[in-house]
Amino acid sequence: MLSNASDRWHTELWAGQRDILPLALGVATYGLAFGVLAAQADFGVFATAVMGTTVFAGSAQIMAVQQLVAGAGVGAAVVAGAALNLRLLLVTASLRQELRGRPAWQILLGLHLATDENWALLHATRVAGRPAGYWFLVGGGLVLLAVWVVTTATAAAFAQLIPDPDALGLGFAFTAAFVAILRNLWRGLGDVGPWGVSIATTAGLIWLTSLPPAWALVVAGIAGAATAAVTGGGGHADD
Amino acid sequence: MTEAVSLIAGLAGLTFAIRLAGYLAGAHLPATGRWARAFDALPGCLIAALVTLLLAEAGRIEGVAAVVAFTVAAATRSLPVTMIAGIATVAGLQAVV
Repeated sequence: MLSNASDRWHTELWAGQRDILPLALGVATYGLAFGVLAAQADFGVFATAVMGTTVFAGSAQIMAVQQLVAGAGVGAAVVAGAALNLRLLLVTASLRQELRGRPAWQILLGLHLATDENWALLHATRVAGRPAGYWFLVGGGLVLLAVWVVTTATAAAFAQLIPDPDALGLGFAFTAAFVAILRNLWRGLGDVGPWGVSIATTAGLIWLTSLPPAWALVVAGIAGAATAAVTGGGGHADD
Repeated sequence: MTEAVSLIAGLAGLTFAIRLAGYLAGAHLPATGRWARAFDALPGCLIAALVTLLLAEAGRIEGVAAVVAFTVAAATRSLPVTMIAGIATVAGLQAVV
């Protein structure tokens, strides 16, 4: 790996940038929606761009600004938004192989650029047998960051001119994207147990309890992973 | 404006703390055996949970589009083709219904 690492890093960076483009469409849709909301909260173009660059977590930004517009205090808005990011605990926890042995600046950059989209695409690409590592993640993350900042700031500036993305079916972009990624994450029958537990846990928690969905995701992800640990499900024993 | 500054600083700080905490927890857990199997299974389990949540919140049109998306994903394994099929189904049904 070390001998040709210098050749490989920009190949992977480029592959990550290219492969993330369909998902960037979903992020752009979401970005327009957030920009319109930011304008309602009297966030200017500059504040919106700074928020997108420094937070870089769409659903959390939407939740926090929505709470602020609804009259919640800043503290409550921050906590409500951050709670939606709890699943990022699991996302970055499973990046340990990609980040191991890297200089601190690369670790911090990789962590900040880690989102559901490029992280899930990284794993789906690898299950499909194509090489994807740290620079694949960073390449995808940089494109998503650029698209997120540009679309949110543009929508904040021209809020009255933005059409409703839902009318064009674009509200479904993320669901369709994650369905495709889920298909590509499938490794074989060993996944049935862990995935089944995760799905059943999610459904049970959101229908039978008042646990917020952000927590349900974290509990379900851990329950599924624990199932794989105990039963040996999940396929690969090569680690 | 001070509200905006506090909100952005607070959310940026907490979000990065979450990203860092996950990494630190993962880096300090064993890389073999059960822990390795758990981490290997984590991406699929978390995305399966996310899709379940998205579908639980979806309406009837999105439900039909999800069936289309699953079928196209199973057949093609293609991210862009699945997205186009799903989005087109929602747009088409919204125009008709």
